[in-house]
Amino acid sequence: MKQYGGVSAELAAVDGHKRLNMDKVMTVVCFILLLIIVVIPIVMIIYNAFFNEGKLEVDMFVQQISEKKNLEAMWNTLKIAVFATILGTIMGVFYAWLLGRSDIPAKGLMRALFNIPYMFPPFLGAMAWDMMFNGRSGYINKWLVSIFHLKSMPININSVWGIVFVEVSYYFPFVFMQVVSALERMDPTLEESARIAGAKQGQVILKITLPLVKPAISAGALLILTTSLAHFGVPSILGYAKGIYTLPTRIYAVIYNSGGSFDGIRQGAALSVMLVVVVALALVLQNKILSSGSYDIIKGKSMRPTLIKLRGAKIPLFLLAILTLVLIVIVPLVMIVLISFLKAYGLPLTFKNFTFAQYQKVFSANGTIAAIRNSLFVSITAGIICMFLGTLVAYVVQKIRPRGKGVLEVISMLPYAIPGTVLSIGVILAWSGRIAGINLYNTIWIILVAYLARYLSFSMKTSSAALLQVHSSLEEAARVCGASHTESLADVTLPLIRPAMVSGFFLIFLPAMREVTTSILLYGPYTRTLGVQIYSLRDAGMIPQAAALATVAIGIIIILNTIVTKLTKDRKGV
Amino acid sequence: MANVKFDNITVRYGSNTVLDNFSLEVESGKIVCLVGPSGCGKTTLVRALLGLNKPETGTITVGDRILFDAKKRINVPAEKRNIGIVFQDYAVWPHMTVVENVSYPLKKQRRPKEEIRERAMRALEQVHMTEYANHLPNQLSGGQQQRVAIARALVVDSDVLVMDEPITNLDAKLREEMLLEIRMIQKRLNATILYITHDQQSALQLCDKMAIMQLDGTLCQYGTDEEIILHPANRFTFEFIGVSNFIPVVKNGNSVALDCGEMIPYADAIPKEVENGGFELGVRPNDIVFDPASPLKAKVDSRVFLGSEYNYFLSLGKKQIRVQQSMLDARTKGVAEEGETIGIRFLNTRFYPAQKGGATA
Repeated sequence: MKQYGGVSAELAAVDGHKRLNMDKVMTVVCFILLLIIVVIPIVMIIYNAFFNEGKLEVDMFVQQISEKKNLEAMWNTLKIAVFATILGTIMGVFYAWLLGRSDIPAKGLMRALFNIPYMFPPFLGAMAWDMMFNGRSGYINKWLVSIFHLKSMPININSVWGIVFVEVSYYFPFVFMQVVSALERMDPTLEESARIAGAKQGQVILKITLPLVKPAISAGALLILTTSLAHFGVPSILGYAKGIYTLPTRIYAVIYNSGGSFDGIRQGAALSVMLVVVVALALVLQNKILSSGSYDIIKGKSMRPTLIKLRGAKIPLFLLAILTLVLIVIVPLVMIVLISFLKAYGLPLTFKNFTFAQYQKVFSANGTIAAIRNSLFVSITAGIICMFLGTLVAYVVQKIRPRGKGVLEVISMLPYAIPGTVLSIGVILAWSGRIAGINLYNTIWIILVAYLARYLSFSMKTSSAALLQVHSSLEEAARVCGASHTESLADVTLPLIRPAMVSGFFLIFLPAMREVTTSILLYGPYTRTLGVQIYSLRDAGMIPQAAALATVAIGIIIILNTIVTKLTKDRKGV
Repeated sequence: MANVKFDNITVRYGSNTVLDNFSLEVESGKIVCLVGPSGCGKTTLVRALLGLNKPETGTITVGDRILFDAKKRINVPAEKRNIGIVFQDYAVWPHMTVVENVSYPLKKQRRPKEEIRERAMRALEQVHMTEYANHLPNQLSGGQQQRVAIARALVVDSDVLVMDEPITNLDAKLREEMLLEIRMIQKRLNATILYITHDQQSALQLCDKMAIMQLDGTLCQYGTDEEIILHPANRFTFEFIGVSNFIPVVKNGNSVALDCGEMIPYADAIPKEVENGGFELGVRPNDIVFDPASPLKAKVDSRVFLGSEYNYFLSLGKKQIRVQQSMLDARTKGVAEEGETIGIRFLNTRFYPAQKGGATA
């Protein structure tokens, strides 16, 4: 009273209106940024697929979607995605149950190891499998032929099934991680009551446990499905040589073959519309099959679930799990490292053929160093910008709740369901000089813009979840205690969601570091990313050098991941 | 040390009018309890006072300072209103230690460091939390967090202290203690406290005056607790504060009867307008006494001993009514046995126009 008594009501009133304006400014900024980053590229795709020079022109679109090659690609895309989802889900649930609820030995270690396939870039895995089981020159294939005197190569990884296999290997962790955490948070009394009511162990798993974790399974399966539909790396590495196309690789081929001409990009846009329709259909279908409300039985606090004794099956199942890990992590890794030491691809893997020359080339070539620098730059920049922008959008949606917040939420989540390839085309169409003369094509900025659109939803999701935990009374209490609106944000809200923002950053930074799908269509002569550089080295036949760079990339990813785990463990338990 | 005046406050959420031309004046240096059922607009009113929502009409003044005036377009922002608040959900900041939480309001006033420390510790002392000064809130129980919130509200000498159900999460004993503590703090600081609760019991213990709010957001009575208990302004207050029995009163031929599934003649004096029926008789359980001479007979269904009183359920005709018998009365006159038929007499009866649907307590 004493210190504020003199403040004239009018002055205070001005301040009072300023507060409202700040909320408004944040809302408007959100809308404008999302318009630029997300809406414009998407609108450009649709516009260019159906219009040419301002006139409606459906011929091109009709011709594209009725072309046999494209229909085949669509069919392959669907086939691969569906099988990868089904098999990946089965595998993920099985191992989640094994590690989450059985008394399998060395559980902590196994948990950590089973997260590795998630970090492993699938296209590097595909590269390794191609080295081993290529239908013509795979090392293991050749070895098998010579040992067993076979007439032809026994395994051909360059097939639809090969692609499915590799995708399952690296995508099953999506389901695994979701389900394992659901299983661990599940109230054990639910299962115990079923046992008491007379159900056998097997019945409990089928009738109680599985239905209860169904939402988690469903969420993980959806991730596999959308990721596989949009995936470029694996099908392009394994399928290209044999003429097996999926829609994303087909889009790339169309644009690549046309030399980046506008017509090629327009055809790509038409195919993109097709791909988006496929993704949308898949989402609807998945919703129909797996739709289920989330149950409230999964408690936030951790409990110790009863572990199921495997008895005699313990050792065989343990070995199976180890074998799986060896097969999908160790073997490809060893293969890549071995090849990286080869003088030339195709030489036998003997010591006299080994050399460090590839690494020398990698570290002396300007292109590779630039690629690492480019990847670091775009990933860190995209991570930081998305971290703040995502938090801003989340804040507006969760706390300010303006009119049209639903629209805001949908727009920011949209790129999540839109394949990276499609997004790239939208970005090319939007930012190559056709809007306000802004031409970012062939610069690093166009990759950055695409990453922003692609990854914004990641940081928005984590910040949103964190903001939901921050009850509005915490901020209000700060206001009443004498903090201005800005101060209350700085003193209360931001510190509380900082851990989420940091993990949002890494959620973007880590995948962006090894990204190929988006940047493959956007790179220019001087703006190759790490993923693109590995891809092009391999494409140019310099497989050992590609392997050397891949080894370096995997090293970087492992180091970064270790740092992240350390950082996130040390943070204050808020 | 200042009075709080709400004048013609209207607050709407969308099309839902929570407060419609609401007026209330809280005298300086008093503890006023705002009592009303959940959802009646108590919290909305407080948020308007704090500057956390914006009424459409009216003015809010604290002392001679205008905090809000719809016509003059005055709206002092929350941080400049100088009102202490204890939120219902504590709103203790989880990333700050207890002492950091309590120091925060002083920091925002840019006080010297030593003064902040000293005053924060004094506030913690008042709520018996000194030993937890360097704990993080997640190391505290709900009750302890609530006390941190109270300390944070006390640390600055606010003109007005608002407490929104501040003791709901404490156990019975601590609740009692905190109520006494709040009372003492108020005496010492001579602060104006606006205390919000839906629990009439703690309201009765604490307040100088009570404001009873009805579910539709209107103020139905403002007065001392005695006034409110002994002279409830309307049926709502009567029903809301304390337990009550309601029995329909009808005209039965030339006489007046109680409609208890069967007509029971009622001979006691009643106001003139009630004689034609269409009313309900309201009586508190402790205003019903056993009197063998009374023509009004009821059967004892059950009897429960509650420590300081006996609680009975009686059947009057086909209607069940509740009776409380004090220990003193039970000692002198004896208790009624279950199954026994006994004469009863209503004291302090009240008559309210019958409600549609005939809701009775």
